[in-house]
Amino acid sequence: MTAPKPTLLDNTLVALADPTRRRVIDMLRQAPRRPGDFVDAFSISAPAISRHLRILRAAGLVEEEFAEHDARIRIYRLRPEPFAGLQDWLEQVAGFWSDQLASFKAHAEAPERAE
Amino acid sequence: MSASATVVIRVAIAPNMAFDLFTREIGQWWRRGPATSFRPANPGRLEFESGPGGRLLECYDDTDHVYEVGKILDWQPGKRLSFEWIGINFAPGEKTEVEVLFQAVDEGTRIVLTHSGWDGLPRDHPARHGLSEQAHLTMLATWWRQLLGGYAARTQAGIA
Repeated sequence: MTAPKPTLLDNTLVALADPTRRRVIDMLRQAPRRPGDFVDAFSISAPAISRHLRILRAAGLVEEEFAEHDARIRIYRLRPEPFAGLQDWLEQVAGFWSDQLASFKAHAEAPERAE
Repeated sequence: MSASATVVIRVAIAPNMAFDLFTREIGQWWRRGPATSFRPANPGRLEFESGPGGRLLECYDDTDHVYEVGKILDWQPGKRLSFEWIGINFAPGEKTEVEVLFQAVDEGTRIVLTHSGWDGLPRDHPARHGLSEQAHLTMLATWWRQLLGGYAARTQAGIA
C-alpha cells in the first residue's frame, strides 16, 4: 500500500492530530468562520487559535480570505482539494473491514447453507 | 469525533447463526492475504478461542507458533462480540479494539463493526506505515466520510 501523496498526507495527519484543530475543521465544515468564533467556542486564547490556524493553513486544509465589507476581518474556510485527495487515497483502503464483512456475508449466505 | 471506523452490513441469517459463523468459521470467511495477515510472508488462518477469556489468534500450518491478535473482551452470542486488535508493529501496551454488534432485523441480522482506539496510538505510530495501516486508514476514511457528508454516498457505495 503506497500513498500517492505522502507529503501532503503527512502534513494532513499532523495537522489533524490535535483535537482543537479537529474541532476547528468540524466547525468550518458548517460554514466559514472568523478566528474570534473559535476563541468564543473553545475558550482558547487568540494567539493559540492563530497558531492552530497557521498549522491548518500550512497543511493546506484551510484558507484565509478577507471579508468583503471589511479587509481587516479575516475569514477561514475549508479548502476542498486536500480533502478530495485524501479521500481518493482512502477509498483504496477503506475497504479493509467492508471487504472482510462482504466475504463473511458471502460465506454466511452461501446457497448450501440455505434453509 | 472519535478515531474509529464503522462498517455496517446485513446478512440474511439470524443473529445467533451470524455470531456463530462469524466466530467459529472466521478461518473460512476471512480473506487471507499479505495485506490482511499478521505474518504477511506466509499468511495463516484466524481462529477465535470461543467464549469469554479466549483470544483471537492467527495460526499457521508450518509452525505451532500463533500470533495473538488480542483477547476477547465480550462474548454475547447473537448480540455482541468485542476483542482487542494488536498489530504486529504495536509497541507493548498499545492496542485497538473491535466491536461487532449483531442486531436482529427483518429477515436477518444487521452487523455493525466498529474498530476503535486508534486515537490512543501516537501519531507517528508505525501502524500508519505498516500493514495495519489499512485498518488505520479505514478509520480515517470513516472520519472523513463523516466530516465530508457530500462524499458519503460515493464512499459507501462499495459497502453492501
